[in-house]
Amino acid sequence: MRLSVVLCNKVADLTKQYSNLPESYIKRAMEQVYWRTPAAPQYLRREIKRKKYYFGVHRPWTAEFQAENQRGTIRKKVFVEPIREWSYFKGDRVEVLVGQDKGKQGIISQVIQERNWVIVEGLNCELKVYGKSKDFPGVYLKSEQPLLVTNEVALVDPSDLKSSAIEWRYTEAGQKVRVSVRTGRIVPIPKGAEETYDYKTKATYKESERDTKASEATEITFEPALKTFEMDIMECMGIQEDRVPAKTFWY
Amino acid sequence: MAVSRITLQHCRCISTSVACCGKRNFRKFLIYNKRGTKLFREKQTTKDRDPELFHDLGVKPVGYGIGETFVEVPEMIPELIVPDLTGFKLKPYVSYRVPEVVQSEFTPKDLFDAVYSDKIVNDFKNGKLGENGEPLEPSPKEQLTPEEAYVQARKTGTDIF
Repeated sequence: MRLSVVLCNKVADLTKQYSNLPESYIKRAMEQVYWRTPAAPQYLRREIKRKKYYFGVHRPWTAEFQAENQRGTIRKKVFVEPIREWSYFKGDRVEVLVGQDKGKQGIISQVIQERNWVIVEGLNCELKVYGKSKDFPGVYLKSEQPLLVTNEVALVDPSDLKSSAIEWRYTEAGQKVRVSVRTGRIVPIPKGAEETYDYKTKATYKESERDTKASEATEITFEPALKTFEMDIMECMGIQEDRVPAKTFWY
Repeated sequence: MAVSRITLQHCRCISTSVACCGKRNFRKFLIYNKRGTKLFREKQTTKDRDPELFHDLGVKPVGYGIGETFVEVPEMIPELIVPDLTGFKLKPYVSYRVPEVVQSEFTPKDLFDAVYSDKIVNDFKNGKLGENGEPLEPSPKEQLTPEEAYVQARKTGTDIF
């Protein structure tokens, strides 16, 4: 598999879906090519570029991600457990199982699938001081710390608002849904999962002047007529063909 | 019997030819503008360069030259015909609110239904169909004979080649 494909495979599906950006752009924004062979026929196409990236809290196309993955920075390999079926989406109600906020429930505000992380709104926070000196008391900033999806967080069953294990099962209609193992109630995928960088939901997207509206895009302007494209153009342009072609024969 | 003696003289040789036999390795070095003498290459940067060396840079001509003069032919100038877009409603981008449009295939049967079906149904209701089902008041399209259709098919403005 080509390296470019491998690189883009490292960026998770949910991240790509949230970005609403073409995959080629994400790859272009991420890649760091240090040297390329000249474009001449005697050279084979070879590139020297970064292959191992550190995925943190920042998205792969941001400047902070680039700063974390600057040239020359080598970090220890982060081992991420591969999860076959991802069950945590933005807007899900979730209970924190570790830390100071153990037992509290919150809503997921960010999903970082590359590290199996989930950031819950207002919970598992870290209070950091910036610029504290003798005269200045410093600025305190509270930021949510990511939680591991595998063992630090549990989805909440909406029927009794208590945490439970979740399974993916099929309904009678054939739809794949999350089901709480304890109660058997379906845990629906929240509306917040539809959110991308450009819109919260497709229906609430703010249209700009360059967007074709639904009424214009779905309008049927085709009128069936017994004419070929050429005949249609001839009629429009007023071209009249009176010449009759000579008879030809096939033997 | 005479005995012939053969003496061998070992001598060391000096090669006067160059080791690389005139082949210079430019495989891994991209050296540009290595053709021509130094004088020639210097002259190329001045006004005295040969005007005929790059006489054609690939631009399509708009006429032809007779000796020194150039005759412009207006027919050779490309004319871009751009459609008039006043009142055109479609914009460059499509809003996310637009639902997915799924259109079924437009088959020849659909075309037949669109063109002929109305008249046939009306004729049937009003009893204007003959014994074999042919229309008693045919429209111009229904009056087309096979010979006429054949001639029309071979005129300009047909799809049948």
